[in-house]
Amino acid sequence: MGMISAVLGRLSQAFLLLVAMSVIGFIGIHSVGNPVFNVVNIETATPEDIRGATIALGLDQPIWHQYVVFVDNVVRGNFGTSYIYHLPAFELLMSKLPATLELASIAMLIAAPLGTALGLVAGRRIGTLFDRTLLQASVSALSIPSFWLAMMLILVGALLTGWFPSGGRGTTAHLLGQDWSFLTANGLWHLVLPAMALAIPNIALIARLSRSGTIEVESLDFTRFCRAKGLSSRRILFRHTLPNISVPIVTIIGLQFGGMLAFAVVVESIFSWPGVGKLLIDSIQLLDRPVVMATLTFVAVAFVLLNALVDLFYAVLDPRVRLSS
Amino acid sequence: MTVDHTNAPLLRVENLGLRHVSGASSTPILSQVSFDLGRGEILGIIGESGAGKSTIGNAILGLLAPEFQQTSGTVSFGGKAMDRMTAEERAALRGKRIAAVFQDHTASLDPLMSVGAQIEETCLALDTRLSRHQARARSIDLLARVGIAEPERRYGNYPHQFSGGQRQRIVIAIALAGAPDIIIADEPTSALDASVQKQVLDLIRDLVDETGVSVILITHDMGVISEITDRVLVMRKGKVVEADRTSVILDQPAHAYTKKLLAAVPRLRVTTGPPQTDGGSEIAADAPSGEGLRVPMHLVAEGVSKQFAPRGLVWGFGRRGESFGLRDVGIRLPRGTITGIVGESGSGKTTFGRILAGLDTAPSGRIIIDDQAYDVARSGRRSGLLGRVQMIFQDPSVSLNPRMTIEETLEESIRFGASARRQDSQANVASMMDRLGLARNLLARHPHQLSGGQKQRVCIARALLAEPELIVADEPTSALDVSVQAEIVTLLKETIAERAITMVFISHDLAIVQAMCSAVYIFKDGRVEDFGSSDFIFARSDNSYTRTLIEARPQRFTC
Repeated sequence: MGMISAVLGRLSQAFLLLVAMSVIGFIGIHSVGNPVFNVVNIETATPEDIRGATIALGLDQPIWHQYVVFVDNVVRGNFGTSYIYHLPAFELLMSKLPATLELASIAMLIAAPLGTALGLVAGRRIGTLFDRTLLQASVSALSIPSFWLAMMLILVGALLTGWFPSGGRGTTAHLLGQDWSFLTANGLWHLVLPAMALAIPNIALIARLSRSGTIEVESLDFTRFCRAKGLSSRRILFRHTLPNISVPIVTIIGLQFGGMLAFAVVVESIFSWPGVGKLLIDSIQLLDRPVVMATLTFVAVAFVLLNALVDLFYAVLDPRVRLSS
Repeated sequence: MTVDHTNAPLLRVENLGLRHVSGASSTPILSQVSFDLGRGEILGIIGESGAGKSTIGNAILGLLAPEFQQTSGTVSFGGKAMDRMTAEERAALRGKRIAAVFQDHTASLDPLMSVGAQIEETCLALDTRLSRHQARARSIDLLARVGIAEPERRYGNYPHQFSGGQRQRIVIAIALAGAPDIIIADEPTSALDASVQKQVLDLIRDLVDETGVSVILITHDMGVISEITDRVLVMRKGKVVEADRTSVILDQPAHAYTKKLLAAVPRLRVTTGPPQTDGGSEIAADAPSGEGLRVPMHLVAEGVSKQFAPRGLVWGFGRRGESFGLRDVGIRLPRGTITGIVGESGSGKTTFGRILAGLDTAPSGRIIIDDQAYDVARSGRRSGLLGRVQMIFQDPSVSLNPRMTIEETLEESIRFGASARRQDSQANVASMMDRLGLARNLLARHPHQLSGGQKQRVCIARALLAEPELIVADEPTSALDVSVQAEIVTLLKETIAERAITMVFISHDLAIVQAMCSAVYIFKDGRVEDFGSSDFIFARSDNSYTRTLIEARPQRFTC
């Protein structure tokens, strides 16, 4: 019964989050401007055209009424049709999702193991050259802006050396009704630089967390006891220290991954990567309200799911959470 | 390596000297430490904090931090000098020939790994020929050997599913995994409750008798020494002041420091004698029913209940664990007396103390001070208890703000204490320092520049300067060395009496409670198990739990 109440609690939180997000998003995009001017041709349109378009889009109604209509449609699974592309907003979002998903996943697949490993080694060797270098490098990696990092990667990795392409998705292959870059060698080649741009700050973040966790855990009595009972230091590191530092690391991985799904816009723009972040920013600029709302809803749901996964991981990892009664 | 069973002692420490080097400064930690350890012998090493006793254990285990440098002497195991061994040879000794048991059973075990797996990995690390299956069988044997019931079923359980005593048994099982020649036990029972401490000590004694393993038992507690050791090394400031058979040390100590240590051990009187404290007759003279409560009560707490909510998300079904919390707890404190609350860890005594001080809430119950009722469900300032009741905490090293000087801490107590409400306050930092035997030049210092005893005096000063009517002291002496304990207890008792403050004294140490308190409440599992005057509880109460607590004490220090 504890489990059911936990799940119910989580679901009601998620529901509240969605409501709050949709209200804020709706009011926000409403106050940015009137989308009708992006729909009609402003040079040639007569006042009648504008009025007609306004009525057609339902923009003549008071905002609360527009919101009610929006919610009503969403409940029926319809986010509306993009003002610009004249495609269903949800379909448009889904067509951009594979690009973002593969980019974020590959970036995290690089960042999580590498960051954790670097942190473990540094935490074992506090004050050594390796440790100090890692600390310095991580501060730099966290403080440089992502656009600069992306441009430097293009400069070094593409323009000066010509090793990697500077943008675009390259050749894609079809899987599950979507196009994926990571399935072809050329597509993977195109993924390298943008994935690095997303991974580098995360490597730094995860390495710092992992380092401080390692220092803390290795100062605890049980690591000393493990040495006293004759275990090798390798085994202590991987079987005892690593599980004990992983809770904060997994939390951060979950949050950062959610962030990359939605807000990797700078990297996506610079590398002309047609992903969700780019779609969101473009839609906001074009006041494409249905697409903005669809994207925001997706992001909120993604965060809720990621957090649930992180909680599940805690339970798998930590018997005190799993078995508490 | 083979160990010569006949001639040379198993372990010989000769003229060992160590210093701690950090940066330019270098502090001697040990000097001229020599002793032998024979097979099947329990050698006690006793001393106060800073005596260097744990360092000896770490030196033998080869677990010294790199800042420690050996300056003289040798440690030889089985006739071979350990400092001439390679790092690999020393690592091969660890766990296999020389094992360890540390103080904190909770911290000694990895919380994320089942206890079975932790024993199993030790067996596998120490004997590479073992199959996984054999290692598992051996681990179950070890669990059974240290007295864990149903070892097959408990094998996959995690450390938090065991009680403190069971965890320490599991740690001992791990130490036994390699069938070692020596176990170095560093304060193995200090984190355990009195009744469990005795069981664990008995287990160690049995293991020594059965297997012939030798034990070096490092402790600050004369009680532990008197219970199971064969020989004792008394240490002070890195030197051995006296070494002899246990009976000699206890009965005819030669060195003044040993005598002082022995004298400082609080003794429990279990025979009826003339009441040591007056006021004892005021509460429940004979009967625990509490008749004859003529004196006006200063504080009455009634029906305080609190259930602790389980932490974190709940993914499992059913399976209720131990229940913690308070169930319908009530106490009555006559004005100007000291009342003791005794109980083991988890009995709810600390939670109850915090509720009395307004630092914690309980969903039901009430507290009446001088006919004014307080709602314990409300927290902090809103309950009105804050300020009227002051608290002295267990560990002075964490209960003082490290960023504030002593003067700032004490001034704050005056500014926001009783004088904030009353105009005629006499509170004065300097005179309080004098009264508590603290030099005035300490005022400008920060807490880390003070000794443990000084810090606890500052905590007492802080509580008194707020001019409270009541003080809750939660184990105020258990983080201190024995010799300092006695001073603090006396000082606390005197200053409380001078100001006619009513005090609740929470402790697990029956002897200190007897010395301090006129009435005693015994807590068990969140309930009041027994209560009455001090004389009644210690000499005449026939409550079985009270008797168990008294009998678990070292016989040597009960009279």
